[in-house]
Amino acid sequence: MFRRRTLFAAFAAAAFSLQGLSPASAQDLVNASLRLKWLTQAQFAGFYVALEKGYYKEEGINLTINPGGPNLLTENLVATGADTFGLSGGTDSVFAARDKGLPIVCIGVAHQVTPFVFVSHKDGAVQSVADFKGKTATTWFTGANHVLSAMLSKAGTSPSDVDIQPQQVSVTPFVDKQVDIVTATRYNELYVINERVGKDNLNLFVPEDSGVSFPRDTLIVSEQTATEKPELVTKFLRASVKGWKEAFANEAEAIDIIMKISPTLNRAQQEFMLKEVKTLMTAGKASTDGLFSIDKDAVGSANKLLAEYGVISKPVDLDAAFNASFIESIPAEERRL
Amino acid sequence: MSGTATLAANLPVVSTGRIGVVLRPVLWLLLALVVVEAVVVVFGIRTYYLPRPSVIASTIMATPGAYLAGLWRTFLETALGFVAGSMFGVVMAVVFHRWQTLRELFFPLFIVSQTIPVIAFGAVVVLWFGNTLFAKAVISFYISFLPVTVNTMLGFSAVDPRQVQLMRSFGASDAQILRRLYLPAALPQLFVALKLASSLALVGAIVGEWFGDTTGLGVLLLQAMYNENVAGIWATIVVSACLGMGLYGAVSYAERRIVFWGGEQ
Amino acid sequence: MSASVSSDSLRQFSRGIAGALLVAAVWELCARGLDLPAYVLPSVSSILAGLASDAGSLLAAARFTAAESFTGYAIGCLAGMTAAVLVTMIPSARSVVVPLATAINSVPVVAYSPLVLLWFGIGMASKIVMVAIAVSFTIFLSTIAGLDRVDRKSVDLIRSFGADRFTVLWRLRLPTALPLVIAGMRVSTVRSVIVAIVTEMLGAYGGLGWVIYQAVLQVDFVKVWAAIIVASAISLAFFGAISFVERRYVFWR
Repeated sequence: MFRRRTLFAAFAAAAFSLQGLSPASAQDLVNASLRLKWLTQAQFAGFYVALEKGYYKEEGINLTINPGGPNLLTENLVATGADTFGLSGGTDSVFAARDKGLPIVCIGVAHQVTPFVFVSHKDGAVQSVADFKGKTATTWFTGANHVLSAMLSKAGTSPSDVDIQPQQVSVTPFVDKQVDIVTATRYNELYVINERVGKDNLNLFVPEDSGVSFPRDTLIVSEQTATEKPELVTKFLRASVKGWKEAFANEAEAIDIIMKISPTLNRAQQEFMLKEVKTLMTAGKASTDGLFSIDKDAVGSANKLLAEYGVISKPVDLDAAFNASFIESIPAEERRL
Repeated sequence: MSGTATLAANLPVVSTGRIGVVLRPVLWLLLALVVVEAVVVVFGIRTYYLPRPSVIASTIMATPGAYLAGLWRTFLETALGFVAGSMFGVVMAVVFHRWQTLRELFFPLFIVSQTIPVIAFGAVVVLWFGNTLFAKAVISFYISFLPVTVNTMLGFSAVDPRQVQLMRSFGASDAQILRRLYLPAALPQLFVALKLASSLALVGAIVGEWFGDTTGLGVLLLQAMYNENVAGIWATIVVSACLGMGLYGAVSYAERRIVFWGGEQ
Repeated sequence: MSASVSSDSLRQFSRGIAGALLVAAVWELCARGLDLPAYVLPSVSSILAGLASDAGSLLAAARFTAAESFTGYAIGCLAGMTAAVLVTMIPSARSVVVPLATAINSVPVVAYSPLVLLWFGIGMASKIVMVAIAVSFTIFLSTIAGLDRVDRKSVDLIRSFGADRFTVLWRLRLPTALPLVIAGMRVSTVRSVIVAIVTEMLGAYGGLGWVIYQAVLQVDFVKVWAAIIVASAISLAFFGAISFVERRYVFWR
């Protein structure tokens, strides 16, 4: 009895959130939600700043920010309408989702260049990409492994000559020199490795140096939202851009906002993270065209890479998967730092 | 019936002083903490492997509000899920006991349902139940009811059929037989299951918080884990242990009261 | 007698299958009738097709996970029972060990997973340790509960015939405890497989948890469900085996 009633309540609640239009508040705000790819941290500071400062409200949006977690796929939640907007994994997950027929569209790319690097010990045997041969590397098997394979191929090494293993949550095996090469995001793992090994004792291998690019942290909406509520999408982007510019202009305050939500975070690490994210978000095309620009060339090369390695069955139709019209309707000078 | 009576008679309260029972483990725990602290310092064990207890304590004290808020939130989810799960578990045991056909049709599926790791369905859970406290309680409920059903049925099966016949010959109804005979007989087994269910419900709540949330012990754990904040992991473990022990203690207290009372009848 | 027992279990078996088919049919109808996309709920038939096409890799993963669960389960059962017997034999240890075990047991196993991964790496060892931890505490507590069920009068009686502590344990306490111990073992089977899978999701070289994790990231929901079905099958077989032992050796009366 109890169960049936609660289940019913749950479905009713789910139905409401599916429409994303439960009774609006007094000021006639439109309810919407943003699903992040991970827990609250400085990587997403701009969205929290925009929320805190009321930028979304100014655009008429009553936004809820939902954190992500392991085994939560942002694309899935946005495709089904559980969340309106998503900050998803990256070009890799957008391609995988499109390949599997999920009706989602990317409306902006946050990290213009590959946000991760491969790291080795300076006093070790690995001094160049060619030295990877015969060594042990750990990486994420979600796209980073293909970036590594492409880098190796370009250096004339067959990926099968490198012992590539899945990377666990900890970088301790690398710190203890049980593995020779580790994958690290510039804003997170690299901080931990710097702290424990020392910044000057490390070699960094940047994918872009080998001519491989893998933009990540993509903003997505469902195809339905994109066609039915284009003005909502543009408003969301405008408020988000404003929030990010504010976060970069006033980093200490942005970190305060993050620390208020997650007090157990390490402040120094969050400050490092925001600085790195700033570099990633203003690199490449964003340096001229502003935040969240979609660089079709970089995206296209990632597309080709994934198709080549058989991750997606065939190259995805870029124009259907990436819709730059929303972000480009906001003038570049408004988006530039 | 005699089983419940002896169980009540064996309770430590009868033999030892109450204060001694409570104090002794606490003293041992303090001693253990001092030993660990000394071992870590003497052998120079790095924090990544084992932080000193004092470091863990200061981690909690640095942001007590965050841990308290997490504790409260996780407690609410666990309590909701546990109460719902236990009630559902007992009701299903009664149903399955009463209608054999239903049991044979669906009990195997109950077991099947428990073999599904909920964590694989993060998206489905969020899709169906949203990002509410209620969603976490549902997961808690889901993973805590089966032991209750299994043990209650086990307790029922220990009832002597002759006693049932006797009561029936005096004109007792099914409901009366259930209340007077079956339920009291199943109580000791039921409480073993409830203790297990209380810790399972806590697991459910914590894992549930991994599906995108801002407060809760599960969030703190995940955050500490992926930031390689080992002291933070330990701090969260300590707080979870306190919550788990509190729940376990509450169930044990109820057991002492209810089983004792049941045994007296 | 034996004929009626086997026809009984045959009926139980066929009814169990009937129940499963019923649910599968409702599921298929829902998925097809409501035209749900695969990322919400794939149909049973598409999962079965996925099961067939990925059979090789799923089987390899299943073997991996099964090995971890069984090894951890065996270690956990042995450790749990041994500890329980020791604690019953040495009453002075009891007031320390039992509250401590309760405290450790009340921490969700998942909370230990980051530490265990850190200490034992992401190979099989960490999963075996996790399963052993999860199983041993359940078995320890249910064995203690079982050993305590003995009627004090029976103990006094058998003692008065000159039985020593070990005889009391062997002749009286263990047989009395057996039903509860095995019930604990039965519940633990399912838990052991789930703990192995959850730990694999956090970092592994293989196994069903790893397959599920990768499949979620690659948006391959049919594969997720196929892996889940394999996981269920392992748990069920395991559960069935322990139930068989239970029926054979415990409810002989």
